[in-house]
Amino acid sequence: MAYQLYRNTTLGNSLQESLDELIQTQQITPQLALQVLLQFDKAINTALANRVRNRVNFRGSLNTYRFCDNVWTFVLNDVEFREVTELVKVDKVKIVACDGKSESTHNKTDKWQIWAAGSLGVPLWDKVPDGPGLYI
Amino acid sequence: MFYLNISAGMHSKAKLYLSIIDDVIDSVRELFLDEGVEDRVLDDLRHLWESKVMQSKAMEGLRKNTNPSNFVLQLPASYTQTDQELTASVVIPGNQNIRSFPVKNNSETLATFSLPAGLAYPVQIPAGVTLQTASGQLYKVNVPVVVTQAPVGQQPATQAMQKVTEWREASAPQPPAIPPNPIPPHEVETSSVPAQSVTQPKTILPSSQEGSLPLQSTEPDFPQEENEPNPQPNLSTTASPCTQLLDFQIRREEALAQMAQSRDIDDILKEVIEEEREKAERAKKLAPVESDSQSEATLGLDLDYSYSQFSDIVQLDGPAGNSDLEEEEEVPLEENDFLGIINAEAMKALQEGNESSDGNSISSSSDGEGADELANIEEEDPLNSGDDVIEQDIPDLFDTDNVIVCQYDKIHRSKNRWKFHLKDGVMCYGGRDYVFSKAVGEAEW
Repeated sequence: MAYQLYRNTTLGNSLQESLDELIQTQQITPQLALQVLLQFDKAINTALANRVRNRVNFRGSLNTYRFCDNVWTFVLNDVEFREVTELVKVDKVKIVACDGKSESTHNKTDKWQIWAAGSLGVPLWDKVPDGPGLYI
Repeated sequence: MFYLNISAGMHSKAKLYLSIIDDVIDSVRELFLDEGVEDRVLDDLRHLWESKVMQSKAMEGLRKNTNPSNFVLQLPASYTQTDQELTASVVIPGNQNIRSFPVKNNSETLATFSLPAGLAYPVQIPAGVTLQTASGQLYKVNVPVVVTQAPVGQQPATQAMQKVTEWREASAPQPPAIPPNPIPPHEVETSSVPAQSVTQPKTILPSSQEGSLPLQSTEPDFPQEENEPNPQPNLSTTASPCTQLLDFQIRREEALAQMAQSRDIDDILKEVIEEEREKAERAKKLAPVESDSQSEATLGLDLDYSYSQFSDIVQLDGPAGNSDLEEEEEVPLEENDFLGIINAEAMKALQEGNESSDGNSISSSSDGEGADELANIEEEDPLNSGDDVIEQDIPDLFDTDNVIVCQYDKIHRSKNRWKFHLKDGVMCYGGRDYVFSKAVGEAEW
């Protein structure tokens, strides 16, 4: 399953808006719209990986950083983006980055979820440890 | 070369986006059929999607492209899209300022051409020439075009495309003498698109160089079929209000970044821009509250502004016909009146040199409650005007947040120095879209 990360882009948002319009006029079902979005995820992931070949450098000051669920979120200030052709300066930019090392990430996430679900009610251990310990 | 790369970059990005759209639509076609949804709906989805993308991206691109020279190309809203990109270019022979405009597929992209002062209207544009705008944008003409200024609607010839080109004479300093070719008056033909064609109202434009003569061109698709040399394609000159409005919007935004040379519409734009700049200056001046007369004057102005905002807010909030609400509406109005009066008096007091006696006299002249209110209001004012500043800034800045959505290869930190290795990202900042396969960055926290 490809990252749904790119739905919050110009391309992704315009697709979602268009699908919403069609749903409102009842020309398609929400299920179908979801399928379209999943297809979009695959297509854009593939396109970015294969059809784009350029490099950008940037420099700025880091305002905040966050790492949660293997997703980095940064907010940078006074950033300069430099491409071969042009230089753009921005006051504030937000970077959302998913793990680029594909497969292993998904497995880890699944395991985490399973563990978390287990702690809620289902006993994971056969016996309770003696003495002071952590009781879940 | 710089401009070449920019236009090439825009071009390739448009291609990338369109290819993604194509992929998605094709892969979804089966799904649609399985669900029993008509093909027409799929086409609708595609049109909606493409038009939204082109509207935002094209605007961004055009905004960049048209900064110095006014390039506005208007397409009819219901223009049918073809799968192929349009590349139309207009070449003015023998001149130093070549102008061409990229043809945009989808609806409502504006491109206005500004002719240099010396250029007469009938302009012959043979095929294969490359135009360069005053801004340096390069465009290539694939189809010979003759841009004329025709009296009223000539019905489009049976071309596959519909073109309405709008020429606009700008007082651009750069375009030096384009030798006014003694070309017979242009006739602008608009070829109607078979599926959907929209003929825009056409008016006769004076050929004088005074005033801006918007020449709308709805440049359409040039399907490859149409590469046959067209002896005399005609472009009708129109001055539809739509184009001017859209033009107005584009120009306005451009002018914020760059002072645009203006004539009629431009003058209006300048006024608007100046107003906005004044507001921005007021906003800046509000931040450090000094006792300068200037800042006080601006404070006073802003207070008036905020007052009107309060009244606007009050009016908008109040639904009709409830007595309680009426009372509520009245009360804030009264407070605002009081606010305005007290603030004006307070400003005068400050202007008189911070004489405490005056301040006291003013505060003592009001009731005890009034004095408290005065203090409260004075405290609230800076807060409120701080809010006003933010509210003012938001429309001035681009609506788009500057966001980068990507994947990370490696994030490294050493003390407070961070290094980012990113890949496969889509960026949106400064109102424009970018993509990258790799990005490397550094920042200090």
